[in-house]
Amino acid sequence: MVAEVSDVRNMTRPPMGWAGKTLQEMLAESERLLVDTGHYYGVNKLSLKENDPIRYEKIWSRLRGGIVGARETALNISASPIVREIGELCFGLYTPEGDSITLSTGIMAHVHTMSEAIKHMVRAGYEEDPGINPGDIFTNNDPQLGDVHNADVQEFLPIIYEGELVGWAAGVTHETDVGAPQPASMPIGTVSRYEDGFIVSCQKVGTNDRIHRDYENRITTAVRTPFYWILDERCRIAGCQIMRENVLRVIEEEGLETYKTFIREVIEDTRQAFQKNLKLMTVPGIYRFPSFMDVPHSIDKGQMPEYAAVDSLMNCPMELRIGTDLAFEIDLDGANKWGYHSFNCTPSGIQGGLWVGLSQTLIPNDKVNDGAYLATKFNTPYGTWANPDNPAVSNTLSWMYLIPCFTGMFHGLSTAFTARGYVEEVVAAYPFTGNITQGGGPNHMGNPNGAWSNFEHSACGTSARYVMDGETSCAAVWNPEGDMGDVEAWELLEPLLYLGRNVRPMSGGAGKFRGGLGFETVRLVYNTPHQVMFNARDGHVFQCSGLFGGYPGATGYRHSVKNTDMKERIAKQLPYPTCDQDPENSQIDANVKGRTVVKDQYCYHRPDPHQEYDVYLSLIAGGHGVGDCLERDVALVVSDLNEGYLFGRFAERLYGVVAQQGTDGTWTADLAATEAKRAEMRKARLVRSQSVEEWMAAQRGRVERMEFNSAVRKMYRESHELSPKWRREFTAFWRLPADWTPGSED
Amino acid sequence: MAKRAPRILGIDAGGTMTDTFLIDEEGRFIVGKAQTTAYDESVGFLASMEDGLKYWDLKLEEGIGTLRTGIYSGTAMLNRMLERKGRRVGLIVSGGMEDYLRTERGIQTYLGYSYSDRLHLVTHHHNEPLVPRNRIFGVRGRIDVFGKEAIPLYEKEVYSAVETLLDRDAESIVVCLLFSYKNGAHEKRIGEIAREVMAKRGKELPIYLSSELYPVRQDMPRLNSTLMEAYAAEPSRTSLTNVRKCVRDHGGRFDLRVMASHGGTISMDARELARTMISGPIGGVIGARYLGAQIGVKHLACSDIGGTSFDLALVTEGEFEITQTPDIARFLLSMPLVRIDSVGAGTGSFVRVNPTSNRIEVGPDSAGARIGMCWEKSGVNTVSITDCNVVLGYINPDFFLGGEITLDRQRAIDAVEVQIAKPLGLDVYKAAQGVIELFEDSLKSSLLGKILGQGYTPASYNLLSYGGGGPLHVAGYSDGLAFDDVLVPAWAPGFSAFGCACGDYEYRFDKTLDLALLPKTPAEDRQALVAAINGAWAQLRAEVEREFAKSDVPVDRVGYRPAVRMLYYGQLNALEVASPKQQLESAEDLNLLIKGFEELYSRIYGLGAKTPQFGYTIAGVVMSGSTEVEKPILPREPLAGPDDWKDLAVKGSRPVYYRSAWHEATLVDLEKLPAGSDIPGPAVVESPSSTMFVPPGRRVRLDEHRIFHMSVRAAAQLKLAAA
Repeated sequence: MVAEVSDVRNMTRPPMGWAGKTLQEMLAESERLLVDTGHYYGVNKLSLKENDPIRYEKIWSRLRGGIVGARETALNISASPIVREIGELCFGLYTPEGDSITLSTGIMAHVHTMSEAIKHMVRAGYEEDPGINPGDIFTNNDPQLGDVHNADVQEFLPIIYEGELVGWAAGVTHETDVGAPQPASMPIGTVSRYEDGFIVSCQKVGTNDRIHRDYENRITTAVRTPFYWILDERCRIAGCQIMRENVLRVIEEEGLETYKTFIREVIEDTRQAFQKNLKLMTVPGIYRFPSFMDVPHSIDKGQMPEYAAVDSLMNCPMELRIGTDLAFEIDLDGANKWGYHSFNCTPSGIQGGLWVGLSQTLIPNDKVNDGAYLATKFNTPYGTWANPDNPAVSNTLSWMYLIPCFTGMFHGLSTAFTARGYVEEVVAAYPFTGNITQGGGPNHMGNPNGAWSNFEHSACGTSARYVMDGETSCAAVWNPEGDMGDVEAWELLEPLLYLGRNVRPMSGGAGKFRGGLGFETVRLVYNTPHQVMFNARDGHVFQCSGLFGGYPGATGYRHSVKNTDMKERIAKQLPYPTCDQDPENSQIDANVKGRTVVKDQYCYHRPDPHQEYDVYLSLIAGGHGVGDCLERDVALVVSDLNEGYLFGRFAERLYGVVAQQGTDGTWTADLAATEAKRAEMRKARLVRSQSVEEWMAAQRGRVERMEFNSAVRKMYRESHELSPKWRREFTAFWRLPADWTPGSED
Repeated sequence: MAKRAPRILGIDAGGTMTDTFLIDEEGRFIVGKAQTTAYDESVGFLASMEDGLKYWDLKLEEGIGTLRTGIYSGTAMLNRMLERKGRRVGLIVSGGMEDYLRTERGIQTYLGYSYSDRLHLVTHHHNEPLVPRNRIFGVRGRIDVFGKEAIPLYEKEVYSAVETLLDRDAESIVVCLLFSYKNGAHEKRIGEIAREVMAKRGKELPIYLSSELYPVRQDMPRLNSTLMEAYAAEPSRTSLTNVRKCVRDHGGRFDLRVMASHGGTISMDARELARTMISGPIGGVIGARYLGAQIGVKHLACSDIGGTSFDLALVTEGEFEITQTPDIARFLLSMPLVRIDSVGAGTGSFVRVNPTSNRIEVGPDSAGARIGMCWEKSGVNTVSITDCNVVLGYINPDFFLGGEITLDRQRAIDAVEVQIAKPLGLDVYKAAQGVIELFEDSLKSSLLGKILGQGYTPASYNLLSYGGGGPLHVAGYSDGLAFDDVLVPAWAPGFSAFGCACGDYEYRFDKTLDLALLPKTPAEDRQALVAAINGAWAQLRAEVEREFAKSDVPVDRVGYRPAVRMLYYGQLNALEVASPKQQLESAEDLNLLIKGFEELYSRIYGLGAKTPQFGYTIAGVVMSGSTEVEKPILPREPLAGPDDWKDLAVKGSRPVYYRSAWHEATLVDLEKLPAGSDIPGPAVVESPSSTMFVPPGRRVRLDEHRIFHMSVRAAAQLKLAAA
């Protein structure tokens, strides 16, 4: 699917690059100079910055101010709560070759994916065909060319000054529906790209600042909610136009040559600053943190092809290497194979994920751009889920793998910060940003083909820090400016009533400091005859561990009650569920009866039919914990009990806190008993413990015979086949015979 | 000399100081200052009045007796919020939504943050709830998105919730249910039940229904607004009435009004008092609108530089913009607020060179009232913008606040040298100049962005500069922008207080309707739409009348301004469109609203963003009603010759550093400056409360109203901005 490089040396029109070069020549030169000199575009001296630091800063402030303003204005055009309320849009300014210069806030993952899309257009010779002219509009949502998934639609406007391309203004928003066979923006259970819906592959869709009517017609017929798509398209274009005019003004004021010098210097400047930060805040070394994700498609047997309706497990052995030479390398060697599911990723998506992680950890400041990306190196082995050798894989929900994958980087960086003493920056990675509630069908507004993607998972609990608990209902890994939106906004879109939206007790991982809590919403299908709905989040496995002895946040489960007695209950004013709270003492089970109760760990699956008055639970994840539970301040445990965040029966079991509940419901701790209990638990740990040698000896046989379930065996087999290095290390670690293999297909 | 007769009183009760602004019938004014007395604001108010009146040699009774009108604005209510010292509120919400204040909206964990901290997740945190979880109860029942009852109210749960709230000593009860803005029946019923239960127990607590107070969509902002009414506004009413009583006891015969967020002043008896929480910063914008009307200028770009921020607002076609969901003190609110965009950079902002990137950073934190390193006593150890101004000679170290504080210039020079100049490899004066240039340039681009964002160019506007730092920096941040004119009132530091006194006596009410006006909407439905809009206007008009009745203002003295809030069908962000008619007469009149909306929309978002094919939504209606009140008259002085000032007002000269060279600037005493003066730069015009810098190449002329006009210097190359 990666387009061939087309040779534009014999162009029929004058080149639009600088100094008579073609864009291809500029991109090639940029890449060559980075390799040859180690500096962006070979800029080893920041002359403008050194000679006139004030002017340099002024240009920066004007460019960035323009882009932040563009986002604020454009936001108002969108009709979708995903954009307007949750803020799922982002703008960036790029060099002619596609390197980002400055960016707005928002879904920053796309700062680099849009860079890849521009590079694709340059490599594919768009300069000659279809041509790049002032007022042209290009659109892309193809992950193979530069995107995470096709729900994120990007717009590109070239910025041309006196015939030369001086940059690109680009913007991206997340759409509500992508016109796939299943409704909503991130279909689940699709097995190839041909089921992913509407994909626009870096296409020219407008001229003279106007969208072509034929393209608008295509949208109208291709997706279920064209109205949102078209208004979002207008929103992106308006933002890009504001940015473009701002850049042209800066060029008029500062002169073209200064502008050209500036944009290269500022990228190199950020590259150097990234390395200085790395040197300041981390300790060189190799940091390894594996992560996993379940793909339990056996639940969808009969709805998917046989080869796809199987259980599998994603393997992401993330290795982060920080060199004494300030190299920053991310290596996914050992990742297993792509699959017949919607969670495959492309290198472009992985780079987007990296960008998000860096902008929140090593470079959380207003001077971010692609310089940071250029200071990093990547290995996404070919054939794995992170770089499939099949260009037709499905990608609709790449984040399902990306999020677990990058927990390793957050853990690695946090470990490095701790080693250096920057403990305030430590965070125990992110939870998976689910449950993603999606669905469609005839809706309450009279649309027979409604589709909706609820984005309240954009406010998950955040993970614990080294010095305090995580924050409840706060953010998402892909958007630090998280929000869950108002109930009254979502009900405009979805034929489902909110019966409740509550903090979810126990959802944050335990530890000396616990993860921030997630929340849960109980929905009632309402004002529609039928509606398909699906879940998406981790169900069978913990995607990663907590940090320094902390527990991971709770995994999810799905819980729906169908053909319910809700109508009768309401008529008789009997209680109905407004929360679930405790799966072992479920409020849903207690307060609604139905012919079918779905309650299991199959947290994502193909769309499931529901009818009016069915009840559906959505669990939004909590963060992971940091440190040993037995070190948690007793007062914090008591406070959690009194707030209802911790169930009474776990205070002693988890934290060794002996507490009693008074007649008024208030909990108090018995400090002496707690001290004794904790001492006893520590002793018991010693008794239970064994040396690594003993443990490995006990497990080695199991590993050699692969006495695991089929998903685990399949995962190891794939990693074994794809990477000789992984194979060598695995065999050596477990002291297996050199010719050991994980066996053949089951 | 005949005794002055103060006519208008403006009170600005800040956290530390209470300013009183007194204007006489000739437009002359004085400012009195005293410390704010949080325990009883009337004490500080009287002290401040006395302080001011002494300049006119008047006793308190004499000064108060001649006053015709008085307007109060203050931060007491806001402080009550920030310090969480409000009422013990009990809250009833839709069943299942009891955790509203714990989950909040995610956005409330980073509202008001700088760009860097918005990215920096570890800094995000929730607000401490205004109501603890054990005084929040959910009651089952649901109204749906169309306002229909989906689940009847579970009344038993209401009885039980009210009983428990009374048991737990709630001092008031707030009710906010989902979609109550569409249908308030459930909230109303809860109110009835609460009154019934209270009657039985012999109690009487105030009840606040969101459907009555803030009937607009968005549950979290509506809840926050209603909560604030009960939590912070009601207790403030008591302290406001104390001030009023105090005025009356001293012979005042006027109704003291309060500045409200929508830009009008209201009585302290008004039902919706929470909107007076954020009145301070908008005073200047109201003053600008009034000033514009007096001098015949319809478009004003208002810029206010204080110690911590640069506030921007536009008056376009004689009106300011209103935002519907502002955020105050990290809470999203549902109330109309005069739109002000704030940039986190003011004269007190700290300046640093980042050690890893070696790049200058201005703010976001600030020395505020502690000025900077040039004032050793402040204990500040980071360079501020003011320090740079002192280094460059713009600020007179011996005449800061009229000489109240003596600044140490050498200390500022040393600090800038060590903290800024050396790391950047610059000479100390070049470094200080660079910081100021960077500061002013970022203000300039915010200003330009704001104007262009409204679909206008600077040429359409007069720039108005005020605030303590406005006159000092206006030359810098207007440099290169082709404004029609640049105005600086001689009373720039007190302009916000002056502005408060310019507010109309005006009530404004909003109501959400959500009515679709689609291409396919048939004629009879259009007729129904007209009826719905007229009906809602009538309802709001009655509310305006009710509020005015409290102050005995007769209906025939009230002028009404109906408007609708409109958007393309399905969009979420509405624009406010004034109705050219008091009532719609036919379906044809809907086209007048559409025309107004299309014009506004295409001006702001560009022609390409228009999407009339989807139809429109009338999101809501607005009704404002105002009545004439006495307002300040502008000073009018005879014009002296353009050069007469040279004999009257020159204090000497001082070297100032500008564009990498030293210039000898004329020092001018503002107090002695006659109207008609025309002063070429380089000059520094000083008064005890402000400093104006006129750089070489530019000049200022003081007009008969004591407003300076600074010559415009537009960069020729700014052709794109002007195109």
